[in-house]
Amino acid sequence: MASLLNLLYQCGDSFAFLVLSALGLAVIFGMMGVINLAHGEFIMCGAMVTVSVARLGLPLPVAIACGALVAGVIGIVLERLVIRHLYGRPLDSIVATWGISLIATQGTLILVGSSLPGVGTPFTSVSLGGNSYPVYRLLLIAVAVALLGALYLLFNVTRYGTVARATIALPHMAEALGVDTGRVYSLTFGLGAALAGLTGGLYAPTMTIVPTMGGTFLMEAFATVVIGGTDVFIGTAPAAAVLGVVKALATSWEGQLIGQVALLVAVIAMVRVLPRGVSGWLLQERG
Amino acid sequence: MSALLQTEALDKHYGGLHVTAGVSLALEEGEIHCLIGPNGAGKSTLFKLILGAVLPSGGRILYAGEDITNLKPFQRIRRGMSVKFQVPGIFQALTVRQNLAIALQHHLARAHLDREIDRLLEFLGLHAAGLQRASELSHGQKQWLEIGMAVALKPRLLLLDEPTAGMSPDETHATGELVRSLNRAGVTVLAVEHDMEFVRQVAQRVSVLHLGRIFAQGSMQEIVADERVAEIYFGETRYD
Amino acid sequence: MWRLLEGPQTLGRGRWFWTGFVVCLGIAAGYPVFVDGYTVGNTVYFFDWVFMALGLCLIWGYGGALSFGQTAFFGLSGYGYGVLTTDFGAAHGFTLLALLLSVGLAAAFAALLGYFLFFGRISGVFLGIVTLSVTLVCERFMSQTAGPEWHVGAARLNGYNGMNAMPPLTLPWSGGDIVLFPDIGLYYLVLALLVLVYLALRMLVNSRFGNVLVAIRENPERAEMLGYDVRLYQLAAFVIGSALAGLSGALYTSWGQYITPSSMGLNAAALPIVWVAVGGRHDLTATLVGTLVVLAGFQALTIYGSQYALVVMGALLVATVLLAPRGLVAGPVEALLRRRRPGSAR
Repeated sequence: MASLLNLLYQCGDSFAFLVLSALGLAVIFGMMGVINLAHGEFIMCGAMVTVSVARLGLPLPVAIACGALVAGVIGIVLERLVIRHLYGRPLDSIVATWGISLIATQGTLILVGSSLPGVGTPFTSVSLGGNSYPVYRLLLIAVAVALLGALYLLFNVTRYGTVARATIALPHMAEALGVDTGRVYSLTFGLGAALAGLTGGLYAPTMTIVPTMGGTFLMEAFATVVIGGTDVFIGTAPAAAVLGVVKALATSWEGQLIGQVALLVAVIAMVRVLPRGVSGWLLQERG
Repeated sequence: MSALLQTEALDKHYGGLHVTAGVSLALEEGEIHCLIGPNGAGKSTLFKLILGAVLPSGGRILYAGEDITNLKPFQRIRRGMSVKFQVPGIFQALTVRQNLAIALQHHLARAHLDREIDRLLEFLGLHAAGLQRASELSHGQKQWLEIGMAVALKPRLLLLDEPTAGMSPDETHATGELVRSLNRAGVTVLAVEHDMEFVRQVAQRVSVLHLGRIFAQGSMQEIVADERVAEIYFGETRYD
Repeated sequence: MWRLLEGPQTLGRGRWFWTGFVVCLGIAAGYPVFVDGYTVGNTVYFFDWVFMALGLCLIWGYGGALSFGQTAFFGLSGYGYGVLTTDFGAAHGFTLLALLLSVGLAAAFAALLGYFLFFGRISGVFLGIVTLSVTLVCERFMSQTAGPEWHVGAARLNGYNGMNAMPPLTLPWSGGDIVLFPDIGLYYLVLALLVLVYLALRMLVNSRFGNVLVAIRENPERAEMLGYDVRLYQLAAFVIGSALAGLSGALYTSWGQYITPSSMGLNAAALPIVWVAVGGRHDLTATLVGTLVVLAGFQALTIYGSQYALVVMGALLVATVLLAPRGLVAGPVEALLRRRRPGSAR
């Protein structure tokens, strides 16, 4: 019973990490067809802003919100300066964002130094069935689920969501109907960047804050997006669920590294079976 | 006569939507067969099924007596099929000569390649454009280049998807004459076409596709005389 | 067969190009006589990387398949060379066999991975991020092999610190083995190898195979509808290009007698992309020239610290994509050729 509970916690923890790692990347990819290789640097930015603000004495939630906000604003600026010129050239935009990632990581290293002092993990642990679980990580699982729900509402209920989906489906039609598509892309990229920043903020208390920390999230984010395909809800979420189980099982069997190796092997094997991702497969089945 | 290409109860559905619902079509060796039908009748899906670009939900496809239902597109091409698309599928960044070379090099040694390319360029009226990039050609020239690539494969069965889309009446007529001359040389042709003038010019047999089924079949005269066909083309408003 | 050296798939052609080629070769051959031993060894270091760049040029520039993980094959082959030569030594010319075996290992791994990716019909950006993930996982795997349990025969993998002190390439000779330390001997060997690979790749891309590869880059659906198995051609290009990355890895390891996991990390993986994109990925010669220039520039900047050099590399990459998508070497040359022969641009 206790070990079952433990495994359940492991799966939930992996799921949350995968969802939070991937959301920003998935929103930008699903909506704009752009893979943002500077994704990890937005996460790093969110984390750095969060610890800096928290150390000023502000409460952690406020600090995390600041992290997301700053990452989002940088995202919007970047979209205007670079990404905008590369629409319709997905292969070029992935290369350009890699360049940005290099500049951001190494630039941070020069400006900030090799690490920032962190903040402690809030809350303690609860014990259940003989094992103790850190409350903060349980909270992260809840946040991941809540974030998926919030995004669902954002894209399906709000005006921005309707306009954004229309722009993605038929850009020319949306333009003809008077939608400022440039602004929609800008906001969407900003949203993706802000989600990445939020992830950085959320995990900031649990990690060492170094300029290369974005790389820690990269593989998980890639794996989830490759398997998920272009749709955040019917793609990213189920992909994270499946990969979360794979990763948790492999991790509890042989440790963190084997968890990642298993993740990668699962991705490569699944690509062979589902070349269009989970969402492509589901959409095809539904017609 | 024997059937070169035969589809048996070919079915393709996406969820509950049947795009083709049991199409049984037999193409005789040596004929020019035109496939017509109103928009959304399933013509292009049937075309993709025959090429292998999509796989059927049910039914079989036989080619020269062989079951090719699950073969990949390139395997079908190697068995003697060849295709010309509605939108010219050419290699834009490559020269006209390279485009033709890629189609020809399957069955020609390098020593003969240049001569055969020259012959084809002459035949297509593109001899002055051999070293140009394909992207620099006019729309009509691109259509001809793609026809040239389709012919270069020396097909036994030529599949044409609205081959005259965007062509002037003169170009359409010339394309029709080309198709007829290829047919006289032994090539079987299946064409999906909207342009009735073109169909009248080339078709030896016509099939009408409607709601995913073969609705009527016969010579052009028989189809034109068929009141039910006139109804689906002109009388759709009655069912609204 | 020699006529394949020129063709529509390569920029340089005609008497002027080949005159220039021979002149450059002459300069390269005479170069070690005029500079000190350190510079010769350093030039070999530059040459070592060019194989990986040329391989990426084939996969990405000609085949249109984005591979961000060439460093995985570089590292695998480097470690392969390290393990083999540490275990079996350098006698009887074994290092040369180890070089071949390591390249073969990289090619075999590329074939296995490529089979899943290309036969899974994975598309552009996905191919990029999966291959990048592969190299990142390889780096992390090798980084945690510090413990004594991680060894192959007598060769310890040493985790984050990597392997070192494996023997350099050694030629068997009647009067005693010739050990190729980074000096004139190794210089000529690697230069000869480079010329050989460059010319062979020129012939490959202008051959029927190259024609089809470029056709697939331009329009894969149409290429398939002309009867070509797109997956097989892409896989073949991937294996050849990755074997060249492997060659770079083994040469690099034998050159410096060390290999570390960071050679497969994120920064290392970015560099080949920078070289090839900046030079001009659609052309072998542009890639060759671009790689050497960028490498030299990178090294010059490293004096101020490698983080500064990497910032410049990132900026160079962004600028290239935005301003000269066909490359800073190939772009201007192509424009010039088109102006000189209007209407007949190939």
